[in-house]
Amino acid sequence: MSTQTVRITINGEVYEETVPIRMLLTDFIRERAGLTGTHVGCTYEGVCGACTVHIDGEAVKSCLMLAVQADGHAVTTIEGLAKDGQLSPLQRSFNEHHALQCGYCTPGILMNMAEFIEKHRNPTDEEIRHALIGNLCRCTGYVHIVEAVREAAKSAAAT
Amino acid sequence: MAHSTDASPADGWFGAKFNRKEDQRLITGRGRYIADIVAPGMLHLVFARSQVAHARIRSIDTSKAKAMPGVVAVMTGEDIKDRIASLPQPVVVPSLPAKYPTHWPLAVGKVRFHGDPVAAVVARDKYVAEDAAETIEVDYEELPYVGDPEAALKPGAPIVHEGWDSNLIFEMTFTGGATPEDHAKNDAKVQAAFDSADVVVRKRFRCHRCGVTPMETRGALCLWDDADGLTAYVTTQRPHIDRLALSDILNIPAEKVRVIAPRDQGGGFGVKAPFYREPIIVAYLAQQLGRPVRWIESRREHLMAVSQERDQIHDLEVAATRDGQLLALRDRGIGDCGDGCEGVYWGFLMPFLGAVELPNAYAWPMGDVKIKVACTNKAALSPARAFGEFPTRFALERTIDMVARACNLEPAEVRRKNLVKSLPYTSITGEYFDSGDFVKVFDNLTARVDLAGFRREQAEARKRGRYLGIGFAVGVELSGVASELLVPMENQPGYGAATVRLDPRGKVLVFEGDAPGGQGHETTVAQVVAYAFGIHPNDVVVQTGDTGTTPFGSGTIGARAGSYFVSAAYQACTELKHKIAKVMAHDLELGEVDPGDFEFKDGEIVYKRTPNVRKTFREVVERIIMAPINLPPGVSGGLEQTAFFEADKPMICFNADCCKVEVDVNTGQWKILSWTTSEDVGRIINPQIVDGQMHGAIVQGISNACFEQFVYADNGQQLTADFENYKLATAADVPHIDVTHAPTPCPHTPLGSRGIGEGRPSSIPGALSNAICDALSPFGIEITELPLRPDKLWHMIQDARSSAAAE
Amino acid sequence: MYPAVIHDYRRPKSVQEAVKGIADGGADAVFIAGGQSLMQALKVRLVQPHALIDLQDVAELKGVRFDGNVRIGAMTRYVDLAAETRLAPAYAALLDAARHVGDRQVRNRGTIGGSLCWNYIAACMPAVALTLDAAMNLVSGRGGERRLQAREFIGAPLETARKDDELLVSLELPAPLAGAGSAYAKWSLVSDGLPVIGACVYVELEGGSCARARVGFGGLASGPRRSPAAEAQLVGCKVGDDQAVARAMAAAAEELETQGDLWADPAYRSHLIRTLGAKMASAALLRASGQSATT
Repeated sequence: MSTQTVRITINGEVYEETVPIRMLLTDFIRERAGLTGTHVGCTYEGVCGACTVHIDGEAVKSCLMLAVQADGHAVTTIEGLAKDGQLSPLQRSFNEHHALQCGYCTPGILMNMAEFIEKHRNPTDEEIRHALIGNLCRCTGYVHIVEAVREAAKSAAAT
Repeated sequence: MAHSTDASPADGWFGAKFNRKEDQRLITGRGRYIADIVAPGMLHLVFARSQVAHARIRSIDTSKAKAMPGVVAVMTGEDIKDRIASLPQPVVVPSLPAKYPTHWPLAVGKVRFHGDPVAAVVARDKYVAEDAAETIEVDYEELPYVGDPEAALKPGAPIVHEGWDSNLIFEMTFTGGATPEDHAKNDAKVQAAFDSADVVVRKRFRCHRCGVTPMETRGALCLWDDADGLTAYVTTQRPHIDRLALSDILNIPAEKVRVIAPRDQGGGFGVKAPFYREPIIVAYLAQQLGRPVRWIESRREHLMAVSQERDQIHDLEVAATRDGQLLALRDRGIGDCGDGCEGVYWGFLMPFLGAVELPNAYAWPMGDVKIKVACTNKAALSPARAFGEFPTRFALERTIDMVARACNLEPAEVRRKNLVKSLPYTSITGEYFDSGDFVKVFDNLTARVDLAGFRREQAEARKRGRYLGIGFAVGVELSGVASELLVPMENQPGYGAATVRLDPRGKVLVFEGDAPGGQGHETTVAQVVAYAFGIHPNDVVVQTGDTGTTPFGSGTIGARAGSYFVSAAYQACTELKHKIAKVMAHDLELGEVDPGDFEFKDGEIVYKRTPNVRKTFREVVERIIMAPINLPPGVSGGLEQTAFFEADKPMICFNADCCKVEVDVNTGQWKILSWTTSEDVGRIINPQIVDGQMHGAIVQGISNACFEQFVYADNGQQLTADFENYKLATAADVPHIDVTHAPTPCPHTPLGSRGIGEGRPSSIPGALSNAICDALSPFGIEITELPLRPDKLWHMIQDARSSAAAE
Repeated sequence: MYPAVIHDYRRPKSVQEAVKGIADGGADAVFIAGGQSLMQALKVRLVQPHALIDLQDVAELKGVRFDGNVRIGAMTRYVDLAAETRLAPAYAALLDAARHVGDRQVRNRGTIGGSLCWNYIAACMPAVALTLDAAMNLVSGRGGERRLQAREFIGAPLETARKDDELLVSLELPAPLAGAGSAYAKWSLVSDGLPVIGACVYVELEGGSCARARVGFGGLASGPRRSPAAEAQLVGCKVGDDQAVARAMAAAAEELETQGDLWADPAYRSHLIRTLGAKMASAALLRASGQSATT
């Protein structure tokens, strides 16, 4: 039997599906749950970070996981970042600082940075840039992204 | 946070900071990219690609693939070669003298590069499609590999294209006139200048193979309907061109072909501008099977088959006086265009344009520029931002610094001295610079970076064994591509086209035929239209890239948006405003009025002579569309206008870069301490968007110069088809960038705006390597090759140290 | 792009259950830890297992224990290892490595055990484990237990002494000595990228000078290697003795064979051994003497 039944919670909603064991978590999210905000930017190397989601609150690359590994866990995707239709301060900061252009890498960056600023209040620009190593962006040159994260982290620290 | 743009102040929405409208959906994961679009019953297509670089195909065994459960179809080149037309097709062929290799979208007879598609597998599940593709067996008769353009041009080299007597796909002389006699006279004149010059710098420059690969790979979803014909969603910058090409090749009447670039695309940068093989197969199979077929390119496929650009060798010579006055330029360039099988660009258009742009922004009394482009067993070059000129700018900007050193002058001073002072100006290669003040832009930069202060700092640091350096480069770039260049170059029109449609609620819909990939057209155009009509940008919606609903556009290429497209939109708005003014004057019985007597502002239309005479924008618009009675003579109801804008002259924009570095001479590693720019982008519509374009371009340039490289082994195996090996710069690898502005409004666009961003990466390798060489000037090191790598630099330092020791 | 068909997936709750699963699965069953390396191999179909045994629920494999010895569970994630400041200064090299593997997403899942068992040519943990002379505790499906020193465990790239049916349970190090310090850093073309060369140095100071040293390098075609020549020359070194450190690392560069690839030619790799090795030796000495040093 090359399939298995899994229960994966995504953005608070439980998905019970029978999946091929080899199915990537990214494909489960995009196809079984229909949440296409999580993107695929590389083949198998897992370097680009566009597929970044949270597993139990921690940023991971969903293309480097099988859906079966997420069985019993809680996944948060970009669609789950806003709460009750309200954008998170980080999302608002990205809009305010023009921290995205084509938007393809953006969900992965937002998911990574959402965890990062929770764990690091008032990061320096160097720390932010280091934390962004796992997310490639081609359009922005990272300058506005760093600004947006820094400002969001500051206001998160202030609250 | 204040934004670093010393640009002209905002005029309503024009020039204002306005948060992008696209962001709402993109920051919540609600974009709609090609891989997000699904159709009921959709099948998945995977390509099997050649694992060898150059071989005849003896046979292809697809039986195992066909037999696999879930596989619906398997196709090879033999299956299609008599059923669909081959390329070249006129619509995707330039009007330039070159050889255009015949090819089908799947290999027929032979494969010409590692990654050449040999078969297409369609299955109900994409994992199964990959399983099936793996079982396809190809019996190859391997042929010798040719992977060096100079070797490819030697007699006896393996020939890439059957029937060709050589691998030369294109050559051209860019200077000195039109006839061989003119060229000979010019060459002699140039030779005489070199013979008598005080200073001659002569170097061979090499730029490696790299490009600007976007984060989203390519894809196509095609649907066939017997009544409507073909609907093709394609990751493309040029849906209107793709439509014509698909129609011609698949022999489907053009009116039955609709190409839609997805609303959201994850970057293009030129990579999505050609007319490629793959969408042809996807469309053909959708038509044959009568079911939707989708192909989403893997990153591995992508790096095998596209995104490879630059890769030129230039033997460059410059003659100058001992005061640093440039006298003559001579270049012999060689481009490696891979197999050249690529609609629109054929691999060689990039080196072509790079040669045109070689003289850069300097005033050359004369020059002799010739290039040859060779086919090799590699993937065809596909366009990348700084189209063709990344290698030529690098070579030229390095040479300027070498001339300065030979004259014992500041490189910045030599640049300033030789910058074109009086515009308009036509370069020795025939490029027209319409307007701008290059010296103003450059002086703004040198002041900002405090060159004199840096020299003091550098001297102090050297005493303490630290090596700091400063490097400059400039770039004159295309602002849109005028028809007079685009027609010969690509057989396509350069005009910008926009349809502006008002609705009875006072809202505006703008249709754009070009397909953006992140440049923020929905916002900038909304700002321009809002500025024109005096309404809010949120009341303006922009729809792009659907050939079924938009006017013809040659594509999002060559910085056309800020130059041509917004100008067309503004023009359409202007014509509609005239009509609105006419009707309002008639309704208010104002007699003869000038359209300029009405001010469109804050949602109202105000009669300036008597400001209490005013109506809301909405009520006037509604009246004209819904109640078209009692209209002035000659005026009909409705408010929709399509405008085609062609600037009366080809246009440019201009930028200058300055980079400061510190080099660790013990390891050859360097750190960029700062990057500062000075830009002339004309009048700015959205300052953040402009700055973002600059940041992105500069980081692409740094990444290309330092990290990225496509490498082919001696047997033609491509070794860099994943992001572990084709390394892109991360945020930790690049500096903050300080963008400043010293604009001159463009006189040829209605708004004074310029198109920006396409050529921008070109000045980066020059500025960076100039800074490194400046830091290492005590060692006399001159960098002439890219990529810039610590191990190479370390060796150069070691060699310089040992030759110094030997003396 | 996608793994080949996988027929079985198990999630054991204990070491016993895990090794039983491997024994049942035979040669075509593999363990999956954090998956940050294995998933790449699965997706490119380099590895095509019949069954996957997922170790994520085996609690015994997680965590760092300090009771006498230091015992690091094989499933300890980099992010958790990086927070174990008690490892410093003696085993600070582990912190240096754990903080810079890949990126923070990788560190949230990747494990020290996974890295050691995969032993990729450009990996950090194998070089550090070798230099610290860690011991590996293995349990097999047939109930046996083995304990191997790192130098016995770690082989050429992608090879270790672990048998297919053995599970790496933990890494063990002796209780940290006062006066001991270590450091690790790598050089890669891009920040925190896969090491072209990784350098690790461990020293024990007695009376202000180095009594014992271990020096190791990763990124070599042979697999990670110690440099006895460098180790011998570091003995007697004092904090700040840059010349002695340089001599020691010159000896390492002489002793160790380097290869060329897309990122560096052999000469530059040797040079990195000298320069990175020297930086790490200086840092290790500083840390051993109770001062702080960044890598």
